[in-house]
Amino acid sequence: MVDLPKKKVGIIACAGEEIPEGTISRVAARMVLEEVRPEDTVTLCLPLFLAGDERERAFARFYPTIAIDGCEKLCAKRATEKYSGPVSTYIVVDRLIQKRGLSSGQSRHELDEAGQRAAEVVAQEIVNQVERILGRERAVAAMPGVAATAPAGAGTACACASGIPMTQVKIGGQSVGLVALEPIFEQFYQEGRRDGPGLDEDLMKTVKLYNYVPPSAEERYKATLLEEYEKFCRRKGG
Amino acid sequence: MSRKEDNKVLVIPCSGIGKAFGSVAREAMYMIVEELRPEETETVCLSLLTLGDEEAKDRVRSHPVITIDGCAQACAEENVKGVGGRSVANFRVVDTYREHRELKVKSVLHPGEAGRKLAHILARKVASQVDAVKAKEEMIDG
Repeated sequence: MVDLPKKKVGIIACAGEEIPEGTISRVAARMVLEEVRPEDTVTLCLPLFLAGDERERAFARFYPTIAIDGCEKLCAKRATEKYSGPVSTYIVVDRLIQKRGLSSGQSRHELDEAGQRAAEVVAQEIVNQVERILGRERAVAAMPGVAATAPAGAGTACACASGIPMTQVKIGGQSVGLVALEPIFEQFYQEGRRDGPGLDEDLMKTVKLYNYVPPSAEERYKATLLEEYEKFCRRKGG
Repeated sequence: MSRKEDNKVLVIPCSGIGKAFGSVAREAMYMIVEELRPEETETVCLSLLTLGDEEAKDRVRSHPVITIDGCAQACAEENVKGVGGRSVANFRVVDTYREHRELKVKSVLHPGEAGRKLAHILARKVASQVDAVKAKEEMIDG
């Protein structure tokens, strides 16, 4: 069975520099990425949605994504949805810590005791959402220092520049970049799918998980996907 | 708003969450705006610029901006340029690191003592640039 990278959860933090809650969003995200769930999570720098290329902008179509926002401006959620794709869920630091009767602390630079506690609570909530998205309902242990499953920094994944596989295909005479095409083909191949009724529909359904397909071009996409999949199977030896 | 307040230099780091140099960029910015040049500088959330927030765009268009980037993708620089900001200088952490290779940054979450030292060296360079920008603006203002 091919391990499609959809099994990792994307985390996009606003990291807002002007307010303590922005620092809390960043620290909480890193706690999860570095210390608590390094094997299940991946991140991308939010400003890369503008500064990067199509591979970066494919992030939220490729990974189910949690946006972590410091304030109600929701920069992480809104920018992700504007440039990349819908988020699976989002957490607003300000809202969450108020709900828990906590404080953000006084410092946006280095978190004080209150800010650190708030970051731990936000990290806990991120982990809860990661578990939910991955379909695991296992009990989540108490936070950092207790729940750590890996040494700091181990296995931390940044998706910039190289993390998301993109394949260029010709559709209707135009070159189109399709995210995750190779792993999708590999999955179908390993499942023994070579031809038969519904293959084009199933390929299309899976490709659409990661790519926008204009409704008016669906038939052209389907035909191209079948052609490309046949080529893929021939390369693999039939 | 006073003239002095209006003329503040904006220092914007990438705050890159995927790389340790992103943390150094962010740390250097706080050292400048909170410790070294608190009267002359302030910052803007880069995520607001990425989103296209009108107020944030106005701020970077009407103030001199110094960016600090953690990697070659240059997110801070590109995002400021992308909205037509008044970019006056761009720093990259890696350039300072090349001069101080002994200062190995520990991790994104915990840059460590070496990471903070690297940030401080960089912050002093940026502070000098802030002084140069302010001096030039004062000359123009007469």
